[in-house]
Amino acid sequence: MISCPADTAGGPPAAPKWLSSTPRQDYPLVAAMVTEHDYSAAGVPIRDDLRAAHRLIWEYIRKPGNWWTGAQRVAICAAARGADACPLCRARKAALSPNAVSGKHADTGGLPPNVIDVVHRIRTDPGRLSRAWFESVVAGGLDAPHYVELVSLVTMLSGVDFFCRSVGLAPFPLPEPLPGAPSRHLPASAKPGTAWVPMIAPEDAAGPEADMYPPAPFIPNIVRALSLIPDAVRTLWHSSDAHYLPVAEIGNPAARKAALDRMQTELVAARVSALNECFY
Amino acid sequence: MNGAAVDLAAINGDRHGEVGVAHAAELLAFTDAVMRGDDSTIRGTRAALRAVLSDEAYVDVAAVIGAFNVVDRVADSIGIPLDDMMLAMSGDVRDELRLTRFASSANTPAAL
Repeated sequence: MISCPADTAGGPPAAPKWLSSTPRQDYPLVAAMVTEHDYSAAGVPIRDDLRAAHRLIWEYIRKPGNWWTGAQRVAICAAARGADACPLCRARKAALSPNAVSGKHADTGGLPPNVIDVVHRIRTDPGRLSRAWFESVVAGGLDAPHYVELVSLVTMLSGVDFFCRSVGLAPFPLPEPLPGAPSRHLPASAKPGTAWVPMIAPEDAAGPEADMYPPAPFIPNIVRALSLIPDAVRTLWHSSDAHYLPVAEIGNPAARKAALDRMQTELVAARVSALNECFY
Repeated sequence: MNGAAVDLAAINGDRHGEVGVAHAAELLAFTDAVMRGDDSTIRGTRAALRAVLSDEAYVDVAAVIGAFNVVDRVADSIGIPLDDMMLAMSGDVRDELRLTRFASSANTPAAL
């Protein structure tokens, strides 16, 4: 059972240590320090590890990142939710090619138009993103590190939002951002390769990134994908342990979730990916 | 995985009914409804799913739906290719599922 620290009289709990300085086994304790989400409307018990993962993601969203402030990160998430009702996004999704439809996105929340377009595309039509599109994003002023951090926010928020939709919950209110400047930490060991952005190979994960990857015999590209933002990797894989399977167990046919069997798990996973038009 | 035969056509929505996976029809109907965001359909398919699964398994389904809405977006936003090992193992499955119809297959040139 996770025990939450008592509130100090007259003020909120101190901000928790972040993952980069926290042993992996203490992530649930870190997550316990963030305000608990309300799952009561789901009408079913929600596992402690899922609750902890959602709190961890909310803590990740609200803190200053490597390149975006906490306020910008929360704004990115708000914009991502706005994409769901965006008429331009709906028209593009329905079109044979997203490039065939032009126009303006719905309320931008103060973010620049180029950022909004990226946020909305990742949220609503990720399967039709392309290297050429990404290169145009960079040419338009959003560099790879800012882009990867933005991807981490939109994607992890989307996962929690789909979970909520699945169990009949309204989306959790976005957190209040934490103050502070971005760290501007760019991992020295990230190298260009086969993806659109540089990534860190497991054998190169050293120094501040030494603990970044989960203990597993093989680290697939999906785990390496966000490695320009090490805390994104840490958050994502702690979350994935709870929502799917630990990386080290994915290749084990006997590994399964607590209640759903492996074949049922993979059927649901494959159907989601087919509907997202995700080849990977 | 365990030697049982599974009809992969269900993944593409090309088959309805049992596909060799317990409660496949209910799982797929609910997954589709959640993905499409139609509240009334979600309610109906949720009820059907909960009639055949435990509360814990139902929450597991929701968790997997959440998980793959993350990783699909990460994969397609970063342009990662399929890992070599998976590429070597999955040719038949990729062909049966016609996965190269997805634009994101361009990120794995060796698969084309």
